[in-house]
Amino acid sequence: MTDVQDKAVSAPTAVAEKSGGVVATLFRFQSVFGLLAVFIAAIIFSPRRDGEILFVSADNLANVVRAVSEIGIIAVGMTFVILIGGIDLSVGAVLGLAAVGSAVLMVESDWGFLPSVVLVLAIGLVFGALQGMATAMIGIQSFIVTLAGLQIARGLARIWSDGQGVAIAYGNGPNEAPNSFAILGERTFGGLVPIPVLIFAVVAIAAVVFLRVSAFSRHLYAVGGNEKAARLSGVPVIRVKIAVFAICGLLAALAGIVHAVQLNQGSPNDGIGYELDAIAAVVIGGTSLAGGRGSVAGTVAGALLLGVLNNILALNNIESNIQLLIKGLVIVAAAALQRLRPAS
Amino acid sequence: MPQAAALVRMSRIGKRYGGVQACRDVDFTLGAGEVHALLGENGAGKSTLMKILSGDVTGYAGQIEINGSPVSFSGPTDAQAAGIAMIHQELDLVPGLPVADNIFLGRELRTRLRTVDRRRMEREARALLERSGVDLDPRRPVGELRIGEQQLVTIAKAISLDARVLIMDEPTSALTTSEVERLFVVIRELRRGGVGIVYISHRMEEIAQVADRASVLRNGQNVASFDPRTLSTAEVVEAMVGRPVQTMFTTPDAATGDELLRVENLALTPRRPRPGRRDPAGISLTVRAGEIVGLAGLLGSGRTELLETLYGVAPGGTRSGRIVLQGQQIQPRGPRHALRHGIGFVPEDRRTSGLVLFHSILANTVVSSLPAYGRLGVIARRMERSASVRMADRLRLKFGRLQDEVGTLSGGNQQKVVFGRMLLTEPHLLLLDEPTRGVDVGAKAEIYRLLGELAGQGIGVLLASSELPELVGVCDRVVVLRDGRDVASFSTADSAEGDLLAAAMGESAVFEDAGGAQ
Amino acid sequence: MRNLKAPLATAAVAALVLAGCGTTSERTSDQPQAGNSKECKGADGKYTIGMSQANVAEPYRQRMDDDIKAAAKEVSQFEVKFADAAQDNAKQVADVENYITQQIDLLIISPNEAKPLTAVVKKAFDKGIPVLVLDRKVEGDAYTGFIGGDNVEIGTEAGKYVAEKLLPQGGNVVELKGLAGATPQAERHQGFIDAIKANPKLKIVADASGDWLREKGQAQMDALLKANPKIDLVYAHNDPMAEGAYLAAKAVGREKEMKFIGIDALPIPSGGIKAVEQGRLSATFTYPTNGKEAIAAAKKILVDCGTIEKTQTLKTRLIDKENAASIYAEENPTG
Repeated sequence: MTDVQDKAVSAPTAVAEKSGGVVATLFRFQSVFGLLAVFIAAIIFSPRRDGEILFVSADNLANVVRAVSEIGIIAVGMTFVILIGGIDLSVGAVLGLAAVGSAVLMVESDWGFLPSVVLVLAIGLVFGALQGMATAMIGIQSFIVTLAGLQIARGLARIWSDGQGVAIAYGNGPNEAPNSFAILGERTFGGLVPIPVLIFAVVAIAAVVFLRVSAFSRHLYAVGGNEKAARLSGVPVIRVKIAVFAICGLLAALAGIVHAVQLNQGSPNDGIGYELDAIAAVVIGGTSLAGGRGSVAGTVAGALLLGVLNNILALNNIESNIQLLIKGLVIVAAAALQRLRPAS
Repeated sequence: MPQAAALVRMSRIGKRYGGVQACRDVDFTLGAGEVHALLGENGAGKSTLMKILSGDVTGYAGQIEINGSPVSFSGPTDAQAAGIAMIHQELDLVPGLPVADNIFLGRELRTRLRTVDRRRMEREARALLERSGVDLDPRRPVGELRIGEQQLVTIAKAISLDARVLIMDEPTSALTTSEVERLFVVIRELRRGGVGIVYISHRMEEIAQVADRASVLRNGQNVASFDPRTLSTAEVVEAMVGRPVQTMFTTPDAATGDELLRVENLALTPRRPRPGRRDPAGISLTVRAGEIVGLAGLLGSGRTELLETLYGVAPGGTRSGRIVLQGQQIQPRGPRHALRHGIGFVPEDRRTSGLVLFHSILANTVVSSLPAYGRLGVIARRMERSASVRMADRLRLKFGRLQDEVGTLSGGNQQKVVFGRMLLTEPHLLLLDEPTRGVDVGAKAEIYRLLGELAGQGIGVLLASSELPELVGVCDRVVVLRDGRDVASFSTADSAEGDLLAAAMGESAVFEDAGGAQ
Repeated sequence: MRNLKAPLATAAVAALVLAGCGTTSERTSDQPQAGNSKECKGADGKYTIGMSQANVAEPYRQRMDDDIKAAAKEVSQFEVKFADAAQDNAKQVADVENYITQQIDLLIISPNEAKPLTAVVKKAFDKGIPVLVLDRKVEGDAYTGFIGGDNVEIGTEAGKYVAEKLLPQGGNVVELKGLAGATPQAERHQGFIDAIKANPKLKIVADASGDWLREKGQAQMDALLKANPKIDLVYAHNDPMAEGAYLAAKAVGREKEMKFIGIDALPIPSGGIKAVEQGRLSATFTYPTNGKEAIAAAKKILVDCGTIEKTQTLKTRLIDKENAASIYAEENPTG
């Protein structure tokens, strides 16, 4: 009897899926298709020099992805937070704190490469975890907690650096950063891939795999989808939240190290406003701010889309104020597309 | 039947959603002063038909006439202007606003200075609530009210619209028996005033009491129309389901095992008391392995609060008394702790507390038992799939694919998913809070069958319900709660519903036999 | 559909990696090494100049762009493009890289900070693009020329003016500083305190950071006014903060008790020259935008095929009640 019923029910569903399949797929991967569209538009509108399309030149594409990598790393962490229905406004400030931390530890305190990096990452992790505790255990909204966290991280960065940018010089002498750190900042790996891009790629792939296979990710999606139901189902809601904010803090710190090594400096003013770019990448990537729905792959596509857009606008010398308008409109368009998503 | 002067005449209505034909050539009429019951399983097309009438759904085939003249609604506002009001199953209230503001939302009463006339709104809201038979302070925020009370507020709101046609979609699903009685008084009064009422319900005994005529839909088509006072429940159910249905209730296995749960004088003094909550104030009861124990009582008697206390999700406070599970005293600390001790919980409102509606059936089914499928926090997809399929088979879940969103299932099947999730944790004791609310007859019978089966396997069940036939039919024993205390205990073998109701309402209450569903 | 997700995700990441690899050949090989050694086409050429600005939200920097635009209009061979880094070092690095991609003929950059931009400026210079650095320096010497004011000198001039002209009898000074960490902030501070040592009766009683912003200056001054019953002079590191301080004092009716001086003296309606002319500030010191000078240098390099000095420092001028109106007119010739 069960079989008969199943067939009776599944038949119309199958039809519905077939007819809605193409559209549904388009919506599901809107960020990937959006990225493709922007990419093609970039090729079309790219300035040319001697018949060569400047946009697709090796140098330029390397620039695009390298410029995206910091925001991309942050945005992966932000995706986790937004998936549980939270928001983390502190990532830009944590990036600044981590950049200052790497510079001070290696240059002024003459720590080695590994201890410095480990400590800086640990600071990001703990900072995130503390914010997670404040929101999960005391029940303050994450918007408020991380708004406070932003100020605190910025303040810590200013104190630690005496309010000055700390320059990173390389060498083996005192007050010089170890050359092993410089390798991170060298432009390419194997002559092809800029190191920051490699780090971003590793982070992104790890996050995609993690979200696909881990039991933790099911809990994470459940908390974002319906926190009350998740709690009643025995999901360790508090632990999940703390872990997610810790991951986000860790990735922000990683981005801060990348930032410092690329700019040869750690400044307390680094990363101002990066949280907004990261949120934009996540939203363009189709992750719902309400939580429980979205993917890291979308975020990666969203970040690349913003990067390509930035690049092509700059290559065409669109006035900076107009660029802001265009970027704003793209974010609104992405959000509007989500609203049009067919309710299955 | 008032054929000639039909208030509403819907002819050959059809509506497709993608590949699903929700309604096909449906005819429906409603006369002035008539109560017309609309029956059918979930997904039979009742809600779609009524959403078309109330202007919520547009783009349909067929014709609608009001008082003989054809109409075409482009939205709910049009329908309201034509005098049609609908009380939705999903309560459309703003939780943060007081009752009075909700009733007059969008058409606030004004003073001469065009400011909101709060005093007059509260006065009129109070009158409306009284008319609907509910004693509520119109200044209380709706979010603080129980679901049943919220339902009464929506009814009061609908009445305040002075509609000619009132559509009620399961208006009694969260009401207690006495509140249902008062609602029926209101309905009869409206009918005398010439209002036409469409009454959608799963409860056969209510329809027999209140409706003049009943129509049955199945798979989006008319299948029967009859006088509800003449047809037996079994015949109606057969028309709805399309095949004969055996008895609703499986006779419980009388043989029960050792004592599983003993609650002694349990009381909870919350740190911050919340209005409308009735925390345990001295409850003692026992559940034996393989026994189904019912919890009866009016709204506010503390049934839900008892289950929440046992599951460890009641608000913080001081607890006194003892909870003994399988011979060991336990202090419930929360869901994870409870699940580890073999206590499962199916909450009252599956949409807000049970499911992530837009996640897959699979994800919703396995979420409580995840670490079991795989190693080191990595999920073996094959294992979780097979567990989920096994559970779906066992529960006779009707679904397309495991990847489908759980929100696309009918209410009964959604409830089965919540059940399945708990069963995968292999509990010894199941706490169920209104497990058949908003569930159609077919799925109800299957849930009852499942409960019998679980009891047969030695699982103890504590079942809170406001449906007396359900308590009497399913449970071995029923404990009646009043004001947070246990006041009586009956063996269902030798008690009638009337006894339960009398115990629940207290000595002075007057009750009326609700009529059996067997 | 779910199965599509994995390949698509991989594809997205692969695209990201591939993008790093690029598809076309390196194009730099045919170009010579050093900054100035490209063959000079002289007056017959057409030249694209890229201007990379640190932050146009600051009026001073907007004025710098405007001056460059106005000066470039006079040179028919020049077309100038503008980019704004909005105070973000990483953004400014990307802006310069984009200019390199576009193969501009000359780069003008006003760096947000020295250290982070040194590498990318060197990269442009090594590709044969002449680089003019304005206002803030970069490290090393991989650029064609630096044109800027001397902030220490400006601070010194301000200090001298206070010590000798404004408050020879001494008094209590409040200092409103620029953004902590910025070099001009440190230099304007250092020059000033060194100069006022000449007058031992001058005392800095309080300081606060106004982050270069008018509203921040006002807010900080509100607090300083409460804490300090006697203030004779407010030295602000730029005019907007001086104006903010003036407003704060006026709000409590104390603006007559003290004098206000600022720096920058932008010849715009909301700038310091007008504020001096209208009597709100006692004095301000010009901090040249160098826009005009930059285009003159660019013309020398590209059109005249000549060379320029490596470092060109512009002198500051004191603006007070006497000369404010005339200098404003001089800087805005059309009206």
